Amino acid sequence: MTKYFTLSVKSMLTHPELLFWSIVFIEFWVVMWAYVFGAYVPKVEEAVRMYTAQAYGSLLTLSFSATAVGITESFLHSSRSIKFVTKYTRLSPSRFMAEHTASSMLVLSTVAAVMYASIAGVFAHKFGMYTPPTNPLQLTAVTALGCLFMYAISAFLSLAVVVLRAPRSARFVSYIPLILGFLAYGALWLDFKAAAYVSPFNCILALCIYYYSGVKPTTGAFVMGGGAEMDMGLTLLSLVCWVAALMALNVLLLRKMRGVGVEEIRVV
Amino acid sequence: MIVVEGLKVSYRWRQEPVLKGVDGRFDGKSLILGPNGSGKTTLFRAVCGLTRVVEGRVLVDGRNVEEIYAEPGVLSVNFPEAYSLLSVKVRDLITLYSDLAGSDPSKAYEILKDLGITRELLERRKLHELSAGQRKAVCTAMALSMGARHVLLDEPFEQLDPARKGRLIGHLDRYDGIILLNTHETWLMRNLPDWDAYFMFEGRMYGPAKVEELLNVRLRMGKRARAVLCMEVSGRTVSLVKGRRGTLLTSLESLDRVYELALEA
Repeated sequence: MTKYFTLSVKSMLTHPELLFWSIVFIEFWVVMWAYVFGAYVPKVEEAVRMYTAQAYGSLLTLSFSATAVGITESFLHSSRSIKFVTKYTRLSPSRFMAEHTASSMLVLSTVAAVMYASIAGVFAHKFGMYTPPTNPLQLTAVTALGCLFMYAISAFLSLAVVVLRAPRSARFVSYIPLILGFLAYGALWLDFKAAAYVSPFNCILALCIYYYSGVKPTTGAFVMGGGAEMDMGLTLLSLVCWVAALMALNVLLLRKMRGVGVEEIRVV
Repeated sequence: MIVVEGLKVSYRWRQEPVLKGVDGRFDGKSLILGPNGSGKTTLFRAVCGLTRVVEGRVLVDGRNVEEIYAEPGVLSVNFPEAYSLLSVKVRDLITLYSDLAGSDPSKAYEILKDLGITRELLERRKLHELSAGQRKAVCTAMALSMGARHVLLDEPFEQLDPARKGRLIGHLDRYDGIILLNTHETWLMRNLPDWDAYFMFEGRMYGPAKVEELLNVRLRMGKRARAVLCMEVSGRTVSLVKGRRGTLLTSLESLDRVYELALEA
């Protein structure tokens, strides 16, 4: 690892906007889920665990989406530097991608750990019981896969803007993860049917609920009690395919891109 | 050595090219003189491989610049956009780039001290929080400290006071490598007589000529016999000639004035 890894982590974890939207803002929703939306949840272990699982899945997806916006924006603003360092320093494109992935994963994992700790703490206070995940190892693994996907989509969106020379769309594109994250959050009320397997955001949400509660979630409408039970193998396969496809595209696009001037983004 | 052959660069599809077929061989220390908007910065971006080339090619030490990846010590540049990899304090940025280039960060601090930038400031501020002049000085110091065989300096003297300009010239003179420096100011010529000079106007490059040879040349409109160089400016031919008639090149504060002279004639 070069110093890029440590400084990249330091840069992201001290970025006030990223911290606010990924953690502080979502913490507000943690409190809402516990004390407002959770007012009528019976204080029975199974019900509390299922409710906590839904909260963890939904809020983690939102939090990750907000972090992804920060990663996309920082990638876009440093695209010319990335091109420069991958050509004229020992940080080759593949090494850059590896270190950028590792640093972003560490930041996303930190966000996930904060989310888990706060949901566990606040929900334990509200319901008077701590309901740990039924499959903690699998939950950790699927959270890590979610981190990798969020990084992959952030890098892909930034690289696409740069390679297609579309700096005018940079601001909109950087918010795509958040838009898709909120769409997946809509699974609380809407049945996505087969689209729940296609949307990687819905897959992360469903897998988190499954490994936390041990109960297979439905394709949507969790609050209404609707939707068909999901096939978790297919859900996991879909997410893995998304990650693999996006990471492969990222390596290709990184070699093609020449960077886009920060001034071109700022003008817009 | 840097060689550019028939270089055409356009920023947008179907837009008039910014560089209209530039040729040049740079194997020493060279000045590229031209007014603002003549394509000097675009030429440097193309040489680094940071912008799309429509036609032509760039060779760095005989290799196409497009094929160069992960090779520290080949080239450095003082574009602020090359040093915006992370939003961290400047001190961390110097540490990062020294680590990536395998160079000694103390060289950058030494140049920055000469340019009047304190370590305290570097520890407190990020690159984008510095003034334009400080930012340019930091990027120039970083470019010179990376130990590259080729250094591209885009207007490095902008917003520096005369004393600091003098100290930076000292660093450039002592640098062991190929330097391409672009500027629109002509005062620099008197301080770098051993360098080669090229001129850029409206996306075309003219030269080379020895700077020493250009210290006493004058600008005259029209194509002149025995001219040192002839250039096309706003549809008119401008000749650089020796003699007593015409405007002394070094008397122009900025090459932007060549347009005024062309319009007045």
